[in-house]
Order: sequence, then structure tokens, then C-alpha cells
Amino acid sequence: MTSAAEAVRLVALLLTGAALLAAVGALLSTRRPALALGIGLDLLLAAGLLRLATAPSWRQIAATAAIVALRHLIGRGLRAGAPVWRRPGPRSAARTPPPPAAGRSGSPARR
Amino acid sequence: MNSEEAEELLHEAVGFLVTVVEACAAVVIVAGALWAFFRFLKAVATRRTAREFVSVRLTLGRFLALGLEFQLASDVLRTAVAPSFEELAKLAVVAAIRTALNYFLAKEIAEERRQIAEDDADGRPSATGGGKDRSAP
Repeated sequence: MTSAAEAVRLVALLLTGAALLAAVGALLSTRRPALALGIGLDLLLAAGLLRLATAPSWRQIAATAAIVALRHLIGRGLRAGAPVWRRPGPRSAARTPPPPAAGRSGSPARR
Repeated sequence: MNSEEAEELLHEAVGFLVTVVEACAAVVIVAGALWAFFRFLKAVATRRTAREFVSVRLTLGRFLALGLEFQLASDVLRTAVAPSFEELAKLAVVAAIRTALNYFLAKEIAEERRQIAEDDADGRPSATGGGKDRSAP
């Protein structure tokens, strides 16, 4: 392995550590697991991209592909779940159709 | 100069260009990741809202997309020389991963921006975070 490839791997390793640190920090600071996970996955993605730059073996390529697929899957899941956690704003509440006449009044626009 | 020498010269020239472009990609990705990491730390230390974190994430996404563009450029350059079948297969898989990532990253950035605009229009403080992202690579 050349020294350049070794340096890139070292930086990728540092970025992996930074990803964990940033995700934990964001979780403690904002108490939003979805946001913290997103931050961690973004930095892990940066580390994965760096690893791909250094003449990868099939095993490394497969691992990176799996991480990318997993990251995408988790991201999709988080985004799909996000509207459920969000409080309705004035505009989105106004857009919501009124409840049926027999229904309860003041039901939330989104759960 | 015979054809073998010319081919060797081409190999060397393409190899050099690939190294330069890959280095550019690595610099962009590392710079973006380090910048984002320190901004995240600053946001944690100053107890900022989720808005600040999302703003940093958007900018990091742009850095990663730019790095990916460089990496794809190096993949295209690599196809200029005829490698072995195994190298070609690896190149195809890596290029496919990078292309897919670039596509999804762009979609993700657009989605986050749309949500931020929606939150701002609603006057919501930070559902997704909802910060104005002024910095870009």
C-alpha cells in the first residue's frame, strides 16, 4: 500500500470517529435522534467516499455499497416518519380539511 | 515512437490526471467534513437549535456532491485506458455507487431545502431545523 493510500485511510478513520462524536453531540444538544443519526451518517458517508478512492478490494466495495444502501434506507425511513413527529404550523393547519360535522372539533392537523 | 511506447505514455498521462482529480475530490470531501465537524461542535457548545445543525448538514451535502463529481470525473478518465477485466468491473461498480449517491444526495438536498422553505412559510421555528443556508462550497 502506498503512503498516500495509507494517509487517506487514516483520514477516513478520523472522519469515522468525528461522525460518532458529532452524532452523540447533536443528540445531547438537540434531543432529536433523527437529526443526530443524519449527521453521523453524513460524516460516515464522507469517510466511505474517501475509502473508495484508494484502489479498493471487492470486499471494501461491497462494504461501501452496503453502507450507502443502509444509509439511504435509514434516511428514507426517517424522512417518511418526520411528518408524524412535526407539530402542525399555521399554514399546514389551514390546509387541512375540516373534520366531519359529527366528528370532534379541534383535532390535530397531523399526528 | 511506436504504438507500445505511445500506449505507455497515455497510461502514464491518464494515471497522473486520475491522481490529480482524485486528490481534488479527497481535498473537497475532507475539507467539507472537517468544516462541518467543527461547525457541529460549535453548535453543540453554544447550544444552538436544530436549525443550525440542518444548515450545516446541507452545506456538508453540497461538499460531498462536489467531491463525488470529481470522483466521477476520475472514473471517466480511467475508462480512457484499457484495463484488465477485473479492474473494469471494479470501476463499473464504484462508478455506479458514486452515480447513485450523487443522484440521491441531490434529491436529499432539494428535499431538505423544500422543507426549510415550508417551515419558514409556516413560521415554524425548527421542525426540520429550517435554517437559511448561505454558505456553499
